[in-house]
Amino acid sequence: MGYLRPKNRRNSGFRPLRLNHKLAVALPGAECGLHFCPPAELPESEHISVAEATWLALNVVSGGGNASNSQPIGVTKIAKSVIAPLADHNISVFMLSTYQTDFILVRERDLPMVMHTLSSEFTLLRVVNGETVAAHHLGVTNGFVKPKLAPRPIIHPLSSPSNMFCVTSLDPDTLPSVATLLMDVMFYSGGSKESGAGGEDTSHIRFFSFSLIEGYISLVMDEQTTQRFPNNVLFTSASGELWKMVRIGGQPLGFDECGIVAQISEPLATADIPAYYISTFKFDHALVPEENIQSVIGALRSESNLA
Amino acid sequence: MSGSKSDILWSPHHPDRYVICDSELGLYRIGPAGCAELKAGTVPLSGETAATLLAINSDTPYMKCVAWYPKQEPECLLAVGQANGRVVLTSLGQSHNSACKELVGKEFVPKHARQCNTLAWNPVDSNLLAAGLDKHRADFSVLIWDISSKFSPEASVSAEKIRLSSSDLDPSLVVTKPLYDLGQNDACLSLCWLLRDPKLLLAGMHRNLAVFDLRNTSQKTFVNTKAIQGVTVDPHFPDRVASFFEGQVAIWDLRKFEKPVLTLTEQPKPLTKVAWCPTRTGLLATLTRDSNIIRLYDMQHTPTPIGDETEPTIIERSVQPCDGLIGTFAWHPSRQNRMVVVSATNRAMTDFTVFERISLAWSATTSLMWACGRHLYECAEDGPEGAQGLLEQDIATKMRQRAQSRYGHDTVQVWRNHLLAGGNDSQLKSLWFDLFYMKQCAEDAELKLQGNKQAIVYSGIKNIVKTSSGTTESRKCWSGSERQTEATRFHSEERGLALRLCGWMGRASDVDVEPFLRSLEQEREWERAAAVALFNLDIRRAIQILNRGAMAEKGDLNLNVVAMALSGYTDEKASLWREMCSSLRLQLNNPYLCVMFAFLTSEPGAYDGVLYESSVAVRDRVAFASMFLNDAQLPRYVDKLTNEMKEAGNLEGILLTGLTKDGVDLMESYVDRTGDVQTASFCMLKGSPGEVLKDPRVQCWIENYRNLLDAWRFWHKRAEFDIHRGKLDPTSKPLAQVFVSCNFCGKSISYSCAAMPHQGRGFSQYGVSGSPTKSKVTSCPGCRKPLPRCALCLMNMGTPVSSCAGTGKSDDKVDLTRENKLAQFNNWFTWCHNCRHGGHAGHMLSWFRDHTECPVSACTCRCMQLDTTGNLEPLDSS
Repeated sequence: MGYLRPKNRRNSGFRPLRLNHKLAVALPGAECGLHFCPPAELPESEHISVAEATWLALNVVSGGGNASNSQPIGVTKIAKSVIAPLADHNISVFMLSTYQTDFILVRERDLPMVMHTLSSEFTLLRVVNGETVAAHHLGVTNGFVKPKLAPRPIIHPLSSPSNMFCVTSLDPDTLPSVATLLMDVMFYSGGSKESGAGGEDTSHIRFFSFSLIEGYISLVMDEQTTQRFPNNVLFTSASGELWKMVRIGGQPLGFDECGIVAQISEPLATADIPAYYISTFKFDHALVPEENIQSVIGALRSESNLA
Repeated sequence: MSGSKSDILWSPHHPDRYVICDSELGLYRIGPAGCAELKAGTVPLSGETAATLLAINSDTPYMKCVAWYPKQEPECLLAVGQANGRVVLTSLGQSHNSACKELVGKEFVPKHARQCNTLAWNPVDSNLLAAGLDKHRADFSVLIWDISSKFSPEASVSAEKIRLSSSDLDPSLVVTKPLYDLGQNDACLSLCWLLRDPKLLLAGMHRNLAVFDLRNTSQKTFVNTKAIQGVTVDPHFPDRVASFFEGQVAIWDLRKFEKPVLTLTEQPKPLTKVAWCPTRTGLLATLTRDSNIIRLYDMQHTPTPIGDETEPTIIERSVQPCDGLIGTFAWHPSRQNRMVVVSATNRAMTDFTVFERISLAWSATTSLMWACGRHLYECAEDGPEGAQGLLEQDIATKMRQRAQSRYGHDTVQVWRNHLLAGGNDSQLKSLWFDLFYMKQCAEDAELKLQGNKQAIVYSGIKNIVKTSSGTTESRKCWSGSERQTEATRFHSEERGLALRLCGWMGRASDVDVEPFLRSLEQEREWERAAAVALFNLDIRRAIQILNRGAMAEKGDLNLNVVAMALSGYTDEKASLWREMCSSLRLQLNNPYLCVMFAFLTSEPGAYDGVLYESSVAVRDRVAFASMFLNDAQLPRYVDKLTNEMKEAGNLEGILLTGLTKDGVDLMESYVDRTGDVQTASFCMLKGSPGEVLKDPRVQCWIENYRNLLDAWRFWHKRAEFDIHRGKLDPTSKPLAQVFVSCNFCGKSISYSCAAMPHQGRGFSQYGVSGSPTKSKVTSCPGCRKPLPRCALCLMNMGTPVSSCAGTGKSDDKVDLTRENKLAQFNNWFTWCHNCRHGGHAGHMLSWFRDHTECPVSACTCRCMQLDTTGNLEPLDSS
């Protein structure tokens, strides 16, 4: 449950009351918006460890302007347009995919750089009270480091647990009926006692993510956990797709290293494999369709072999 | 559905049925309350109507939105959008062999489950059902389903890798492939099909309103806005769309979609429903959360505002259909202004009809018109033959008739004005006699010699008696007898003046009341004459008059009896005569006969029986008071009477107040009572210009009267009034406001004349007035450049119009005086303010009698049509 704290902390950044501070970056042609929202201040506490710096959330929104048959999902879609350029400019990002959309968190101090980077490819728009207006450049553009366009080998060790995951959501109105279940799943089902019991299957990972962003709930849990929910509460896709996880990092990744998301997402984008990507306080997690897991592992292995 | 939100849907084809959806669907039929015998499930909606529950459907859990199939057949087919994004077709109160059997139970399942926010049936191609869903990553949020499509399991199972959940009972009823999918990577909160083309779908997306065209789904027009909830097209105006965000409603015109054409005033609470009235154009109803009122907006289509007269574009009002908080409402599809409201707390329903806004307009004449709903009502006064005698004519009619009979314009025999007013209004008669006597006194040469009295003449008896001094008392004998009267009579200069103002005395030197008595006899006012004679202590004359009255044609023989009673007068206190007279006098119908006996039977100095007999004319009571009340009593009585008159707005009181501020107060209450600004204007013009006319109330009456004359198109009367006013109040003459300035030097041509007195030219010398044979000036006196030419005769302005100018028609033979007046006007400069062409007024008038365009060739200005009053004819004769 170690990822819970940072997750909560970052969710605070999406509070709607900070909506008026949002910025949007829009793609030319297709409607694409990157929303920034600064987090609310958190009280200092010895029970909570807080990463340095405040993070702003960029929300990638695009309208269905071009109806293409291939629908890349998640980081794949923005890997080349957003993530790679940010990595090239040494900007550390923090990814959070949800059922509804993807958020890219960047450090507030990096914002001028982010805007500078993205302005070359995007039309920058600022969202003020929900209305989109043209955004001005923040700060000067001089003195920015030239991007290094080096290949990006995968540095961190990867592991792929055996259990399969669902990315799902539920109607906020039904939340009260599953509240106790959610609390049970989050706080009382994965204690250290059970970790020994589950130790026989080392490749099994306990992972549960709950996010509530702008009224939308997003859940990521493994297939076994979904069985505990009553029928018809969870939103399941018609195709009932399941996802396999690729966990990045052998030890906590920290917050300063950049390019990790790009290392993973670029090969996936090249192979046109949809993916979710969830960064947590310690590790990063990519979710890929179960049928693609072998090709994903293959592709990523070849990348790390390059290194 | 959570139960927090409910909605009402009217059946598109049965005007008496509606569905209420909250946690389940309930079908109700609305009917008259009387004939609905208290069946189970019947609930009263209003005094007249009740609703019967026909069917309940609770098959579909997690309802988020419902839409009623728009076609007649199959009836009562509903699409229900669920929390997981599935759309289910269901029906209510239908037997299972009905036409929709194969449709009921059909499910439309999106690829990724998320809440279904809105549903909309295509009104033309009713197979198409649009569903708006929440956002799911790169999935589409607007799905258009074809309800007639058949699911083909073999074709898609392998491709789509369907893992349907166990709840799906019959896979043959499940459709997973929408006909169109739109709005990728976005959320859709509201939808409506556009009425102007059934292929166009308007969607309220996450931060924009988008119009999708099904013929080309890769294109969309959109506008960024917050107002994306509840998009709805005005059924009467297919380009007008309303949408809302929190407390604010935005009205859009699809032809100019960049920004809202209107935003309505923001409400403090978020809106829950916005609906156009289907039966009235431009009427929008809005409801906010936790509110007990529905706010209505009347949107008027005003193309070009003309002056200040335009109505506001939006008229806001609110209605309160029921006592509690309103949950939701729905307009009745065909009955005007009717809606059903569901309360938020106990689900009580109310049938409610919004009362139509009434707009009302007074005509300048007597008619009144108002519009309510689709009805226009006119209320006109009955013709003079219709309700004569029953009802008084409207003051507007009276004033119109009086204006035509030149009421107020007789400045010599001032009293005659009451005859011009019709001669049947006693207050006006009294007023004009008052003014006549005041004028007489003011002009009296003898009074002038006695000091500066004429100023005080107009200040009213109230002020006159206050200044009274040097009062002498006298006790006279009854004329023709040696008996002393008990009554003490008081004399002073001021009392004499008061009597003159009351009309009892003629000239100052002439203290004889005889001429007045004679004139009263002439007018057959026998009783009054007798009373005046008696008050002048001539009991014999009084008896004589009564006798004469009884003898006269159609005379009242009872007057003889009264005369006999009078002749028995005795001053003995304990006499039978006294006793009987003082009690029986009250039974006399004529107030003058009554006060005669009151006078004879009262104690000296205590004449309340006379003074407070309200049927006796004020002038007679005041005259009586100034004869018989002492210096202490008289001002007190006059003050009291003045206040009474002021309060009642009785014009007889002008005698007391004069034309002072008091008089204006009195006139004010008269105008308040009657609206007769005409009399008020004419009366106050007689006052001194210094004080009374400065009073804003007086100016207001005068201006209103002038406006009224203009509105009646009595322009000549208004001009006459202005002349009349200018004579009496020289300050009211307006300064020249329009000047003709030279094109070259810019100086006013008339001003230049004034600046050069040695040349002594007036405006008249430009042929504008005076005889045409006088010197002609056709150039600017300032710079000597020629004046512009008339567009018709091509002569320089200033050249008089020749006698045969314009039309040589023989039917122009009107009376010569009129022609002369017109001839002067014919020479006036006139030009169009728009194209600046013009010339002699006469020429222009005759040109525009036959033409609409400007006389200058190649100028297409329709000068005369630009003049809204130019084509109106005056309704009065000059």
